[in-house]
Amino acid sequence: MTPNAEGFPPAVAARKGGSMVRFHRAASSVSRRAVMAGAASAVAIAALTGTTAWAQDAGLGTPEAPVEVRMIANEAFANQWQTLMVPEFNKHYPNIKVTIDGVPYVELLAKSMLDATGPSPNYDIIIADDPWVPQLAEVGALIDLKSAEMAGWTAADYDWADFNAAPLAAGEWKGVQYGVPLRSNMLMMFVNKALYEKAGVPLPTPKITWQEYLEQAPKLVQDTDGDGKVDAWAVDTYFVREPLTPTIWQTIMNSNGGRLLDDNGKPAFSNEIGVAALETHRKLLEFAPTGAVSHGFSESLQAFRQGLVATMFQWGSVFKGSAIDPKTTTLKPEQVGIQVMPVGSTGPGAHRGIWNGTVSAKSEKKQAAWAVIQWLSSKQGEAWHSATLGVFPARKSTLASTPAEPWLVPVFDALQQAYNAAEKGQMWRIRHPRSDAAQQILADEVARAMAGQISAAEALQVAAEKIEKVLN
Amino acid sequence: MTAAALPSPRRRSRLGHRVRIAAGLAACVVFLFPVFWMVLSSFKDQRDIFTMPPTLFFTPTLETYISYMQRADISRRLINTIIVAAGSGALSIAAGAMAGYALARIRLRGAGTIGVLILLSRGVPPIALAVPMFLVARSLGVTDKHITLILAYCTFLIPYVMWLMRGFFLALPRELEESAMIDGCSRFGAFFKIIVPISMPGLLSTLIFSMILAWEELLFALVLTNRHASTIPVSIAGIAGDTVNGANWGALTAVGTITVIPVVVFALLVQKWLIQGLADGATKG
Amino acid sequence: MSTMTAEGARTARPRASAKLADAVSRWAFMAPAAIILVAMLAYPIFYTIEISFARFDLMTFSAVEWVGWDNYRHVLDDYRFWSSMKVTLVYLAFALPLQVVLGFGIAFLINADWRGRGTVRALFIIPMVVAPVVAGGIWRMILDPLWGIVNWLIGLFGFAPLDWFGDPNLAMAAIVIIDTWRWTPFVVLIATAALLALPRDIFEAAEVDGANWWSMLWSITLPLLVPIIAATFVVRWLGAVKMFDIALAATYGGPGGATNVINLFIYEEAFRSLHFAESAAMAVIVLVLTMVLTGIFLVGSRALEQRN
Repeated sequence: MTPNAEGFPPAVAARKGGSMVRFHRAASSVSRRAVMAGAASAVAIAALTGTTAWAQDAGLGTPEAPVEVRMIANEAFANQWQTLMVPEFNKHYPNIKVTIDGVPYVELLAKSMLDATGPSPNYDIIIADDPWVPQLAEVGALIDLKSAEMAGWTAADYDWADFNAAPLAAGEWKGVQYGVPLRSNMLMMFVNKALYEKAGVPLPTPKITWQEYLEQAPKLVQDTDGDGKVDAWAVDTYFVREPLTPTIWQTIMNSNGGRLLDDNGKPAFSNEIGVAALETHRKLLEFAPTGAVSHGFSESLQAFRQGLVATMFQWGSVFKGSAIDPKTTTLKPEQVGIQVMPVGSTGPGAHRGIWNGTVSAKSEKKQAAWAVIQWLSSKQGEAWHSATLGVFPARKSTLASTPAEPWLVPVFDALQQAYNAAEKGQMWRIRHPRSDAAQQILADEVARAMAGQISAAEALQVAAEKIEKVLN
Repeated sequence: MTAAALPSPRRRSRLGHRVRIAAGLAACVVFLFPVFWMVLSSFKDQRDIFTMPPTLFFTPTLETYISYMQRADISRRLINTIIVAAGSGALSIAAGAMAGYALARIRLRGAGTIGVLILLSRGVPPIALAVPMFLVARSLGVTDKHITLILAYCTFLIPYVMWLMRGFFLALPRELEESAMIDGCSRFGAFFKIIVPISMPGLLSTLIFSMILAWEELLFALVLTNRHASTIPVSIAGIAGDTVNGANWGALTAVGTITVIPVVVFALLVQKWLIQGLADGATKG
Repeated sequence: MSTMTAEGARTARPRASAKLADAVSRWAFMAPAAIILVAMLAYPIFYTIEISFARFDLMTFSAVEWVGWDNYRHVLDDYRFWSSMKVTLVYLAFALPLQVVLGFGIAFLINADWRGRGTVRALFIIPMVVAPVVAGGIWRMILDPLWGIVNWLIGLFGFAPLDWFGDPNLAMAAIVIIDTWRWTPFVVLIATAALLALPRDIFEAAEVDGANWWSMLWSITLPLLVPIIAATFVVRWLGAVKMFDIALAATYGGPGGATNVINLFIYEEAFRSLHFAESAAMAVIVLVLTMVLTGIFLVGSRALEQRN
């Protein structure tokens, strides 16, 4: 496929022939503000004449002088992207060389910050987790993807309105769109249908409430082989001291109408709804396997994949490895169900986890960088991404289409419901330049409550006090 | 051949000797059991690792090894790890052993204070050092270079080497280099010709220790490198912190096993050479 | 000087230069280590101290405003800091003596004179080489109440499984066990070398004198080993103070904060919360405490060395 088939506007298409590579770095001293100021008129001129006003950018490369863009991404998918996604991308943009460096998840934010705040950052593309966009934007690391400069490089058929509101909002901060969703994820309820049948408990529907769920839970703690010892439990999920554990509590709270912060940005969770939600989270431990208080992402996955627990509250992306891939799971595809989290007083629960593609504000290869994440988040790229790698899409059109793999049908359905719920109840982590600091405080206090060291009320009170200080 | 051991137990009962060997072997088995479990798990598919009860019988698979060894980033990082561990091991053993010798044997006004300060520099949490080191490296344009990582590792290896070697040198009889220097050896000559050969057991053990510390270091590697000098612990941390599919323990144990092998082979060769060398020394002496 | 005769000056010059050459050759031993460390550490340590007294700007990764002791006050007000310090002390108090005693004991055992000695010694280093993340994970597998072999074995004897990572005391025990498993081999490595290097003639003389095994160990081996035992202890202590990888991999610092050692907290403050200034303040506090305690150990070991 030729680049022109992408449907770029004439001006952009003309530039793709690329006579501008030789300009790169030449004008790097031009201040960003000057560039921004001249942006609007420059686009107009560019559109009329087909010549470029962006002399400082390296463009999209030519066969003789390809452009190299560098990306910093989560080590968990960096290699997969490098070996599978980049070749596919290069079918469309053969002159952009993409190099992806993987960094383990926990150090990725700090590492991105360290790089992006330098005078000449290494990375043109930063892959940022859900709560990171405000933090990166606040230090000036990211470029506004809808700015005039970037808009000139955006394909005419790049359909912003097609994104579900919830995942797109993850890339936004203070009204500016810094990121586009590349890998979307939602907390979901996973069901091991075989264990439900064994216990004689009716299979849950997306309408099941937390109350009904907790009433059924004791029956799901069972002895499946009749040797007198309990060998299957009702639930496993995040209980351990780590930043994602509070998302379970938060989801329960959100679905009951509670919120993390009020309209003034002050903690609003240290109340009846919050405490009840944390007590529910802790109550889950009673129906979880021995040692579950030390379980997090990997451990609860292992328990579910070994058929030890009837339900699991977990990121939807693990579905393939839990239900389909015989190398990683003992369960059969027909055995595993996926649906939105149980319903509270205001509706079903969900929690958003989006990996955003962002472009470094100081990059000299913004056009090429934007071409990469633009393609990956386009209708075409997203369809390829979900069909080939099983990555969840954010676009309504992709979710409404018939997925390439039959197992994705129930997943897409649940995902769409989760997006709607998340948008309605603002079910995401604190969005703030110091959101990870706040999340760490929540992790510490929720963990103490889980371990029974303090009461739910006390934990939330301490967390609220500390978070209020951090956010100011 | 075995003359270099502890006092030869001529009078000690054969039985006591055997008991001692058996107890040593038992300790070894206990310490190696988790390693055995690691190697065993590396041949399992993910779903066989977390079975209840734990299983010894499974269809072994080499797939994890093959798929991970084929990954470009893994092999690149393995080579980087070897370069960095060897480089920082060699540099720190040279600088550290000389400093340790200075502390143990050379009367130097202020050297003791410097030695203690060097040792105390280990009190700074590495987390606090990583970021400023990165800032310096960046302004010098030397991030993501082997030499940067090697020098960074020297900051924690040299103090250890210095202090350990000081301990070894203190145990040597003073007459050794005194007689050598009377015979006309320079101070350097006495150190390299007399002290270094006789301290080989300590030097090699300390070298192995230093290389292991460099081998498994994660924090500096994460902060100071991106790609070209990135080391294998970064891969391991990535696999363990896989946020997409959960920690792949087949892969972790396989990569874990792969990273252990070069060091063990190195240590075995060194041991063999060491015993051989000591035996030669003994017969010559 | 002025009274010096021409002849005297002629002889003094070579003597002075010999003296200088001697001093240079003495200092040349110390210089490489000192130069590398000063070059690599001076700025980072200064930076850490500087930002610990300042407001930290993430935009430039530098100190922007002097705030005096604010960061320190903030840290000292945080219950998490104090509980981390307590956790660290408990861990050190159990792990360090255990490792040194076990290490020298095992070194003595495996140094027995036989063919397989070299191999055993080489194999013994493996626990050190296993990456901390993998080590933490393997021990989690082994100790897990659901699929761990230890609890399965306990179960064979009819006991209920132990919740190694869910009970605060057992979690601390698990950390100590894993750390001891990892670092006893270091002590063994150094101790076997020290035993190998012991001068043989003393023992032979003692044997001729009819000294028994115990008295040789107590009155000859141990005193000779004092410097290296002390050095091993100090090196292990400085390493153990910094331990956080095992806690992160095995217990995530939990349950609650039961295994949240101080370096894990410092690490999380910096790399997760991006609170670099507070993290630096804690680092400085830990540095000072470590210096004081190391000083005490050094004085103690010097006293032991000189007693001999």
